[in-house]
Amino acid sequence: MNKTLYISIAVVSVVLGLMVAFQFRTAGRVDSGVPIDRVQLLTTELKQIEKEYTTLLIEANDLESKLAQAEKGRPEASQAVQKELQKVRQIAGMTELEGPGVEVTLAPIKKEDLQAGENLFTVRDEDLLRVINELRGAGAEALAINGQRIISNSEIRLAGTFIDVNLTRISPPYSVLAIGAPDQLESALLIKGGLVDTMRNWGVAVNVAKKETLTVPAYKHRIHIEYAKPLKEEK
Amino acid sequence: MWAGVLLAMVGLTLGVIVGLNVPMVLPQVYAQYLGLGVLAALDSVFGGIRAALEDHYDNHIFVTGFFSNILLAAGLAYIGTKLGVPLSTAAVVAFGVRLFQNLAIIRRHLLKK
Repeated sequence: MNKTLYISIAVVSVVLGLMVAFQFRTAGRVDSGVPIDRVQLLTTELKQIEKEYTTLLIEANDLESKLAQAEKGRPEASQAVQKELQKVRQIAGMTELEGPGVEVTLAPIKKEDLQAGENLFTVRDEDLLRVINELRGAGAEALAINGQRIISNSEIRLAGTFIDVNLTRISPPYSVLAIGAPDQLESALLIKGGLVDTMRNWGVAVNVAKKETLTVPAYKHRIHIEYAKPLKEEK
Repeated sequence: MWAGVLLAMVGLTLGVIVGLNVPMVLPQVYAQYLGLGVLAALDSVFGGIRAALEDHYDNHIFVTGFFSNILLAAGLAYIGTKLGVPLSTAAVVAFGVRLFQNLAIIRRHLLKK
């Protein structure tokens, strides 16, 4: 009986001493620490911010994956656009082209050989136009006269005693380059009673040479479109 | 009687020394609950002393009262904060009043002797 009494008293006093000391230490720290209300406030704020942080992190991950996907898709798209652009530039004549074709040289017959007026036996703009037209009809893909690329709005016209192509003066001998099937182009020009025959009769020295590869230069001038506006495509 | 007092003193100092030297520190949030526990424990101890002076001290009642008071005080305060009701204030008032009553009765007993 007495033993348990003493033991319980001892246990109780030890526990009391422990608690008092602990509380003393914690209470002693209160002055140096932050008030409890503030701690709770900051804790709730922290929790909220942490929640926000996680949601933002999720959002960031999502956006990053989307970005990666877009990045993955971009080279293909840009490649397609690049290809399309390349094609359109080729069609428009903005690029130098190479391929098989024919070279047609037109030169007036020398004056010493014929005693006639000077103007009668020069190569006229119409001759060049006819050649160009014939070559186009035979399927020429790219044309140039004396380094001037013929594009959709190129002109060939007489200006005084000279011929202007792309507003640039060219002088004889004229050399017309055409890329296409060489045999087809040649036969279209050399057909009996055709263009070359006629021109030779008129006194123009025409020479048609098939070429394995020839280079047609790019259109070097600016294209100025002021009045033409594209219509909206109807679907 | 004196052996018991001596034992209590020795236990108290032992507890204080251990409590002051333990490297562990209680978090701020639980400080108020521990404070209430200390209050309840002091109340129980003074109740026990008073009972001993009145000669109807029961060891079982003392020991169970000591621990259950501590746990109840801290637990009620905790529940109070969870519910948003400041039960800790009620505990402080109740234990404080009882503490002073017990002290007054002990003083009277000591004076009567």
